[in-house]
Amino acid sequence: MSVAKTLVGRRRANLEIREPMGLLAKSLVLLVSVLIGLAVSVCILIASGVSASDLWNEFIVYIVTSPKNLSAVLVQSVPLMIAGLAAAVAFRARFWNIGIEGQMIFGAIAATYIAINDLGPEPMRLVLMFMAAAIGGIGWILLPAILKIKLNINEIISTLLMNYIAFNFLLHLLYGSWRDPLSGFPNSQQYDALEVFPLLGWQSLNFSMVISLFLVLFVLWLFIFSRFGFVLKVLHGNSEMARSLGIRIGLVVLLVTALSGALSGICGFVISAGIESRMTQSFFVGFGFSGILIAFLARDNPIGILIVSVLFATLVIGGQSLQVFYQIPFAMVQLIQAIIVMCVAGSEFFIRYRIAILR
Amino acid sequence: MEFLVFWLSNIPSFAAPFALGVLGMIICERSGVLNLGAEGFVLVGAMSGAGLLIGYGDFPLLALVVSGACAALLGVLFGLLVATLRVNQVIAGLIIVFLAQGLTSLISRNMGWVNKPFSGLGKLDFGLLSDIPTIGPILFGQDLVVYLTVLIYFISFQIINKTNLGLMLRAVGESPEAVDAAGGNVTLLRFGAIVVGAFFLGVAGGYLTVVVSKIWVDGISGGRGWIIIALVIFARWRLWRAMVGAVLFGCIEALIPRLAAIGVQLPQYFVLMLPYVVTLLVMVWSNVQSGGREGAPSALGRPYLREERH
Repeated sequence: MSVAKTLVGRRRANLEIREPMGLLAKSLVLLVSVLIGLAVSVCILIASGVSASDLWNEFIVYIVTSPKNLSAVLVQSVPLMIAGLAAAVAFRARFWNIGIEGQMIFGAIAATYIAINDLGPEPMRLVLMFMAAAIGGIGWILLPAILKIKLNINEIISTLLMNYIAFNFLLHLLYGSWRDPLSGFPNSQQYDALEVFPLLGWQSLNFSMVISLFLVLFVLWLFIFSRFGFVLKVLHGNSEMARSLGIRIGLVVLLVTALSGALSGICGFVISAGIESRMTQSFFVGFGFSGILIAFLARDNPIGILIVSVLFATLVIGGQSLQVFYQIPFAMVQLIQAIIVMCVAGSEFFIRYRIAILR
Repeated sequence: MEFLVFWLSNIPSFAAPFALGVLGMIICERSGVLNLGAEGFVLVGAMSGAGLLIGYGDFPLLALVVSGACAALLGVLFGLLVATLRVNQVIAGLIIVFLAQGLTSLISRNMGWVNKPFSGLGKLDFGLLSDIPTIGPILFGQDLVVYLTVLIYFISFQIINKTNLGLMLRAVGESPEAVDAAGGNVTLLRFGAIVVGAFFLGVAGGYLTVVVSKIWVDGISGGRGWIIIALVIFARWRLWRAMVGAVLFGCIEALIPRLAAIGVQLPQYFVLMLPYVVTLLVMVWSNVQSGGREGAPSALGRPYLREERH
């Protein structure tokens, strides 16, 4: 093997499996890999013409010192957090839900349907929209979930294909019967005042923050304290053992994917009712991928997801001002996310193995 | 009849990118490396081909080679992740897709390549042969790449099935332990398969811009990379079945503009859903037929490290 046996003079490098690393050493490796990822990203940004001091200002100073920017970061972190939870929940059952964006679209469509038709009593409107969004998301993940359980069809591809189908359906609505009658633009009409989240009284922070924190706690309870979480742990660790213990794997996967779909649907809803006050044709873009990366970085841990999504939101808000003031395309944000995750993924190699130089 | 000739003569140029992409996927996955980064390689190929034509002059065939080369470069990164560092192949593939989406969007905007039409690669003209009614435009009215693709398939089939190198490639996908014990270099073989596979996926992407659209916009591959992955399952990792799948999808994609041309009124966005719906149906069909893993290399998706051998 080229890696294991790189001949250097008479010495050779050999791979050895490490003793399990301690938590401190592990965190150190993780930290170093994140720093390497950030360093690479900073180099790319500087090469694109943003000076280092501007970067420091845009990403740290302006966000920490300005309550307005800080609240923008927190508002932005809400959908990222929920998308991260949606990905993590599915991953726990070894179901790769790459279709978060499609489920977000159907969640938002269901909520918007309630909003534009003014269904239900007014005080209950937001609650109804919330439930509709969850059901919309579940509806869109149901087919890939059943195909996976019954026919063992690869869910990575099926959920992803469903994204494209959902997107075309969204365009069909927005360029058709749901086009805004006032402006003529291809987005839904603006939500009424009682259909958007009430503000919490500090800057732009709104009620969706409470929802996301509640969802974090709920998933934490589910994973760690509930009986179902234990079943999931067994299934995640060893599906053969789970089967012989009599766990109905199909049912567990169905429930977990439904929860993942519901979370995705709610994620779409908090963007339309919490950030944009209407359904646009691009509200979902990038959240599915970010959700997966957040769940991966946080090792599916809900508290970790909370932290990582605030960091990702900082990246997004900083990226938005780079876009405005330095004409840096927003794709840079996605690139930075991918670079950091790549470094972290690569670092696991050094957590598991040691390169020993043999004589 | 005219409809039929038009349709049939359009199929090869819609089928070619699928055929080239599936070929790249099969080369990579026969070595046991699960490649979910297909969409990323296709995107990089599509952008770099277009970029060469816009920025550096009108060399369409060179552009296709550059498409492949740039995707192969990304393949080196993918190889580093999965063959050398043994990162989870699902995560590594998804990272490649995210990275390629960000990278292509960033580079094309910085270089000013977005929405700039170019002349690209045209159809060949065989003179008299191309003028034969009905058969002429179908068989002798295609671009060079279509004919090359058939040739490449023939050569690849010979290499994979008839040479020692092909045997090593297949063996490393079935049992890397055996290859290692026999003195073969598992990491090198997989690395090579990834890079060559990425090259063909890149050419497939290049074909989309250089030959078909003759323009670059963000995300122009529109999920074709994922359709290619589904086609590999349909093809059961066999080359000639892959060709059948590619032609099938060529038929569907070629039908969409034809339907509009003859005045069939269908809701536009439902028609655009068609390829994805058909891909889902094809996956259902092949799984009902064979359980989905028939023909899959036994070691597909499993990193190999001698020290962890059981």
